[in-house]
Amino acid sequence: MIAPRPYALLAEITYRCPLHCPYCSNPTQTRNDQELTTDEWTRVIREAAALGVLQIGFSGGEPLARRDLPDLVRAAREASLYTNLITSGVGLDDDRVRALSDAGLDSVQLSFQSDNTDLADEIAGARAHQRKLDAAAKIRAAGIPLSLNFVIHRRNIDRLTEMIALAESLQAERVELANVQFYGWAFLNRAALLPTREQVVRAREIATAAKTRLTGKIDIFYVLPDYYETRPKPCLNGWGQRYLTVNPIGDVLPCPTASSAIPDLRFENVRDRALDWIWRESESFNRFRGTEWMPEPCQSCPQREIDFGGCRCQAALLTGDAANTDPVCDLSSNRAAVDAVLHEVDSLGYHAPDWTYRMNPGRLAVSA
Amino acid sequence: MQTPTITGSAQPRLARGVRLQTDSKTGNSVLLFPEGLLELNETAHDIVTRCDGRTVGEIIQTLAEEYDVDPKMLGADVRETLGDLQRRKLIELV
Repeated sequence: MIAPRPYALLAEITYRCPLHCPYCSNPTQTRNDQELTTDEWTRVIREAAALGVLQIGFSGGEPLARRDLPDLVRAAREASLYTNLITSGVGLDDDRVRALSDAGLDSVQLSFQSDNTDLADEIAGARAHQRKLDAAAKIRAAGIPLSLNFVIHRRNIDRLTEMIALAESLQAERVELANVQFYGWAFLNRAALLPTREQVVRAREIATAAKTRLTGKIDIFYVLPDYYETRPKPCLNGWGQRYLTVNPIGDVLPCPTASSAIPDLRFENVRDRALDWIWRESESFNRFRGTEWMPEPCQSCPQREIDFGGCRCQAALLTGDAANTDPVCDLSSNRAAVDAVLHEVDSLGYHAPDWTYRMNPGRLAVSA
Repeated sequence: MQTPTITGSAQPRLARGVRLQTDSKTGNSVLLFPEGLLELNETAHDIVTRCDGRTVGEIIQTLAEEYDVDPKMLGADVRETLGDLQRRKLIELV
């Protein structure tokens, strides 16, 4: 199979994070291997640029937990990549903003849990909200474009209006209001996080109205919770088509959640193989590339190159087989699995169960 | 959305956080911005590379001379391209 060229690399440089958000998509179990070194990341970045990658997102965990982040940003700029930092903002003091700005950082996506300090800190499992507000001001002062990312779930979805107002007051260029997707810790905490249908309907109205009101001022992206959709999301624009992820220990993933959601898929590591080979030749990148792997009803579906059969991880988590049609699709014979979850949430009403906070990887040897 | 008329005296420039770059794989120009990119066709490339402090009128005049076409004919195309880029928040007019 002829591989297309990738456009974006998600560099998950560490799983360590000072926040403990119960909706984190990181794996709930991580291998106790050593994180890639600065030199190893620099090589990965150059190999990615040679493959055609134009954008890099530094993510994690909390990427600021690595002291060499400015070095990695500089390496990415030297390879002509557009550099995004995806951060909680915790640890972003004046010195680090300056170092990142000097290294050529192009843009920052700052996560928020809520507009309200108490609720935000409760969700994060850490006193982080005020530090995020300070971080936003520093990013603004440095003249770096700012996006705010809110992960939306049952406990904060009723505050959409206030969250949008926060984005306005922080003069963000862009705000993403993305309903939680159920992978990693979020899958574990699904019953506590999935909003009710009533909440979803109201939130969509608020987001649509705000989008119109703020046209030309702030770009608002509202992402529906896909369990409430009848057609699946075009996950990754197709497996192994445009994106690749390298995780903290150097495993190369077609999708950041694949390592935990699809246990029978074996991933290659940048310590053993060239990135180019992994992208073009590896079994993990080729397994769901194109349309040949698709079962019915996808195989004969006119939508098959629009939604690509949806999300492989979701199919694995909800049906036990990653090669099935995403069960969000109402043409899937497994749609009942999704409907059962929605039914349970509606019957719970506001009596949501407690959640489990994300825990940091144990005894991760750290070399940065 | 209504686009205000782009006047000849406006000075277009790349918006904050937007970078113009050559894609080494294709040789084409691309605009890179948070979470996305836009591949530019030849005309868009010629316009964007001249968003360097020149006015819209000056850009039209320069390109008309280079292409050896009527500035009035070209003007509509240039304004349309600039309007499109402005709607995507990739350029701003000052």
